[in-house]
Amino acid sequence: MSPAATFRNIPFREKTAWAMASILIGGAAFYLNMVISASRALGQTAPPFVGFVIAYVVVIVIASVVLMSALAATSPREANAPADEREKIIGDKAGNWSGYVMVVPALGALWHYAVNMDGNMLFHLVFLSLMLGQIAEYVFQIFLYRRGG
Amino acid sequence: MAKPPPISNRIRELREQHGPMSQSALAEAIGVTRQTVIAIELGKYSPSLESAFRIARVFDLGVEDVFGWEA
Repeated sequence: MSPAATFRNIPFREKTAWAMASILIGGAAFYLNMVISASRALGQTAPPFVGFVIAYVVVIVIASVVLMSALAATSPREANAPADEREKIIGDKAGNWSGYVMVVPALGALWHYAVNMDGNMLFHLVFLSLMLGQIAEYVFQIFLYRRGG
Repeated sequence: MAKPPPISNRIRELREQHGPMSQSALAEAIGVTRQTVIAIELGKYSPSLESAFRIARVFDLGVEDVFGWEA
């Protein structure tokens, strides 16, 4: 099967999950790299980059809208159709599982704060937990689409 | 890997007898995506009762003529 045919056979929602997972993984890696670099330069955990976080969220939203629009243009019928029963189940399962992925590092962040009283680290770890939860949701969706449901 | 549900079906065979009917046509007739029809045919996904009835009606059969319990 040609790559074009393979691409056509992927359900629209799986394509969007791949796109969103890629954007978020790139964003999380960029953020993590920035925090580590700034922390090394300062010799302590870098303070929260609130302005950056807001700009980051805006960029992620814009990038996802652009990518979704591009994907929708390749299969407009699928893009406009509501999720069917299997897709709804996949969405629910992925959302449920990703909740656990988000909670575990968030609890770790709270534990770290309780022990070290490092509010800056708490901010970064909670923000990364939120990103990890979102990434996990899309990764689980891809897994479930690949598995069949 | 999750164990596939113990439900067998004759959808592929019935599609071939009816035309043959494409997976897309069946998907449109019952209101799901083509990938969902593929997952049902391969036994990877058990359809809802409503979709099972819809599939059976497309072929003018009863649900038990299309689906079977393997366990």
